[in-house]
Amino acid sequence: MTDVMPDVGPVVDDQPIGIAMHGVSPERRRAGRWLVWLATLGLAAIVLAQILFVSGVTAFGFANWRPIVYAWLVWSVVIAAGQVIVRGERGQRALFILPAVLFTVAMVIFPTLSGFYIAFTDWNLSQLEGRHFNGLDNLRSLFQDAYFWNALGNMVYYVLAVLGQYTIAFGLALLLNADIHGRKFFRVAFLMPFMLSPVAVSWMIGKSIMEFRFGPAAQVARFLGWDSPSFFTTPMIARAAVMAMDGWVSIPFVMVLLLAGLQALPGEVMEAAKVDGASPWQAFWKIVFPLTLPVSVTALILRIIFELKLADIVITVTDGGPGGATDTISSFIFREYRERSNVGYGTMLAQFYFIIIIVFVTLLLSLAARVMKRYS
Amino acid sequence: MTEKTNESLIGGTADRRAVLKGAAGFGAAALAAAGPLATLSMPATARAASSNAQFRADLVKVPGVGKGSPTDADWQKVGEMCLGPTKANVQPGEFKGVELTFMGLNNQNLHNFLFRGFLKPWEAYTGATIKWIDLAQADYNPRLQQAIATKTVDFDIIEMGAPFEGDVCGKGLASPMPDWVKQQIEVDDLVNYLKPPVGTWEGKTYRVNIDGDCHSWNYRTDYFKDAKLAAAWKAEGHTGDWAPPKTWQQVNEITKFLKGKKINGQDAYGYLDPAKGWGGFGFYFLEDRATSYVKVPGDKAWLFDPDNMKPLVNNPGWVRAIQDAIDCLPSEPADQLNADPGTTGFQQFLAGTGSMLSWWGDIGQMANTSDSSVIGTTIGFDINPGSDTLYNRKTGKWETPAGGINFAPNMAYLGWGVYVMARADADPKKSKAAWSAAAHLGGKDISLWTVMYPSGFQAHRNSHFQIDEWVAAGYDKGYISGYLGSLDKSYNHPNSAIEPRIPGIFQYYSVAEDELAKIYAGKATAQQGADAIAAAWEKITDTIGRDTQLKLYRASLGM
Repeated sequence: MTDVMPDVGPVVDDQPIGIAMHGVSPERRRAGRWLVWLATLGLAAIVLAQILFVSGVTAFGFANWRPIVYAWLVWSVVIAAGQVIVRGERGQRALFILPAVLFTVAMVIFPTLSGFYIAFTDWNLSQLEGRHFNGLDNLRSLFQDAYFWNALGNMVYYVLAVLGQYTIAFGLALLLNADIHGRKFFRVAFLMPFMLSPVAVSWMIGKSIMEFRFGPAAQVARFLGWDSPSFFTTPMIARAAVMAMDGWVSIPFVMVLLLAGLQALPGEVMEAAKVDGASPWQAFWKIVFPLTLPVSVTALILRIIFELKLADIVITVTDGGPGGATDTISSFIFREYRERSNVGYGTMLAQFYFIIIIVFVTLLLSLAARVMKRYS
Repeated sequence: MTEKTNESLIGGTADRRAVLKGAAGFGAAALAAAGPLATLSMPATARAASSNAQFRADLVKVPGVGKGSPTDADWQKVGEMCLGPTKANVQPGEFKGVELTFMGLNNQNLHNFLFRGFLKPWEAYTGATIKWIDLAQADYNPRLQQAIATKTVDFDIIEMGAPFEGDVCGKGLASPMPDWVKQQIEVDDLVNYLKPPVGTWEGKTYRVNIDGDCHSWNYRTDYFKDAKLAAAWKAEGHTGDWAPPKTWQQVNEITKFLKGKKINGQDAYGYLDPAKGWGGFGFYFLEDRATSYVKVPGDKAWLFDPDNMKPLVNNPGWVRAIQDAIDCLPSEPADQLNADPGTTGFQQFLAGTGSMLSWWGDIGQMANTSDSSVIGTTIGFDINPGSDTLYNRKTGKWETPAGGINFAPNMAYLGWGVYVMARADADPKKSKAAWSAAAHLGGKDISLWTVMYPSGFQAHRNSHFQIDEWVAAGYDKGYISGYLGSLDKSYNHPNSAIEPRIPGIFQYYSVAEDELAKIYAGKATAQQGADAIAAAWEKITDTIGRDTQLKLYRASLGM
């Protein structure tokens, strides 16, 4: 293609016509543009007509919004075809990414923006008249909502528990990285809890093994002298029990990441440390830990993001109790949506929490970058 | 029940079945006296009655009580046997080409699973086909609310609880019941509390009843026959005999007394309060305590003020009920704060923990028939306890109830029904098909079978209270008399507390559960918590719309 460059003549869209628009006549480009414009106008007209219909301004429209989805699909196809018609080979290249962009707009951008709108409405599914814009009322309610702030406070405990999970996971990863008997078996066995659904774990452990009357854990606790081994009626114990179940499911995930990091360590460095007479603790603290720090940071940040969404175990085992001691933001949002059909306020909670997570994770990444820099 | 039949015959209000039933006894006696030849000389009505009684006796022997759980083949057989009323109103193949969508529950492999079997012969006879939407209990409310709010009702028939009538019938989404359906399902046979206004909205009937609900009292008879406990009760100076309680005050006294005692070598416990939420359903259990304090005879309102929708939940009567629960909890099992109603019913009471429980009829159905129950026949039944003091919201004063005790059984949830959606009315053939299917499920004979076998439904017709039919099916007479007696007394109690059927009722209950959890965990006093519940309820009412809520609340109470 480079050979053709000197002869390409005029340039359109910063690309030599000979390369990008090869074979595309001006008539074809014009026709393509018309097609795109017509499709866009058609889509806009259908959407506008439907909005006017559901707003009661006009008397004609569709019974539901499904035709708008079909119109969007048709428009997407026309846009894709238009790219090829107007831009030739460049348009064909665009087809590699355009479907993904259109899909993301439809499935991520639009719902997010739509969610922001719903968050500023009083939408409750039991209303006869449907939703109304209610300004900052939901936000004001959120700031006064003791349940939200209580759950957010609990999230601090849960996030801190990730450090404990990380420590255990690191220990297990070191163990599985060592030359021990049955290493392959233990690697699979330790990974198994991660394969289980947290809801299944909630039932198997929280509602069976830890059950007050017949649960084996309660029986053992009685044998050890705890008269009333009730794991979910005292705030601190209930929170710790939820953390333990959550850890049981999640530790293998962190462990696998760390194990991969450990296995990637250069063997000669460890050999050199050994030759230099480094103790196991020195070898770990001065060599292994710093070298696996990038993996550790990745594992911790991923776990924290997952942890911030903790809900299933809490919903299944404690329903947030006793007295909100184990409640999480997600389980609270779940109650607002599912049990109270409180779509407007529930969405405000979700969007506000979403922003908190973004800010928190951004700060966390910045902190991680500094730590990494210091170690490097 | 024989007395009831006689009374209705004498009173001239008997329907066809009542007449037939009354004649059945006569026919049977005549048969016994005159032998087989007598059948030929029997009057036609007596022969019909005899055959109907025989039909019901045969029906409840499918597969037979104590002969294992019924299977799909049994459900189909029952559906086939009960097709008679359908055949009287529908021609064979009349609904050919009609497809109906049915939305219901799939809890514990019951509900829709039974309906499928029952309706298979109906489909074969009428030519209609049914598409099923099966939902878990937890998915039911959001799915229904979503369909209503987004105007995407995609089902023609729905299995629904009466509390949702405000959301569905109040919005004009349901089809009013045609007269022929009322006749086919014999609506007069329903127990009193399920008659209008329940099942109706603004004067129109919508509901085909397939279930009846109330909370009733279950207690362990071995506890109250235990000589050591009786002696200890006396030794500790308690008033009255060692006997099942009649008031909630006695419930608390007994529960506190039992703390630390043993029975059969195990820890003894009294009442079991569900202190953990259950998707809104847990609030019914506080209502059990509260209705005896706040449900004043002659005044239908006990949850909201019918003049302005102001919550009554923070009045002194309700606060007293909450305080009772707070006082009782320390004497209950150590894990009670994490016990929802499912736990109290199935993991505690039926598993042998605790001696007193207020619950739906499931406990009585399962105590002696479920493999998971260890209490067997050591269970007694009654209506829920009352109170020796009553708070009158109108006077704002505590009163002594007439008769000494104020009983107010809680008609919690009002049972499941089958409703036809208005969208089916667009096509008259489809509408008739939908109503025919609903009527088949709500038929008088089929209902006898469902209340006797695992189905998720409890007795709800006067005809279900004929003890002999249950005994013939295999039930123990004493046991079933006690069980049905407690339901019958609750249903027909003049001061029963009827649940308001207003939109979003479970939102009110759900938010109250959150506050109660805080109260029970010691994070708020009874009054503080009750005030918080009232404030949250006010907010819900304002969000949904106070005027419409008030109008629908009054309508649901028949005011």
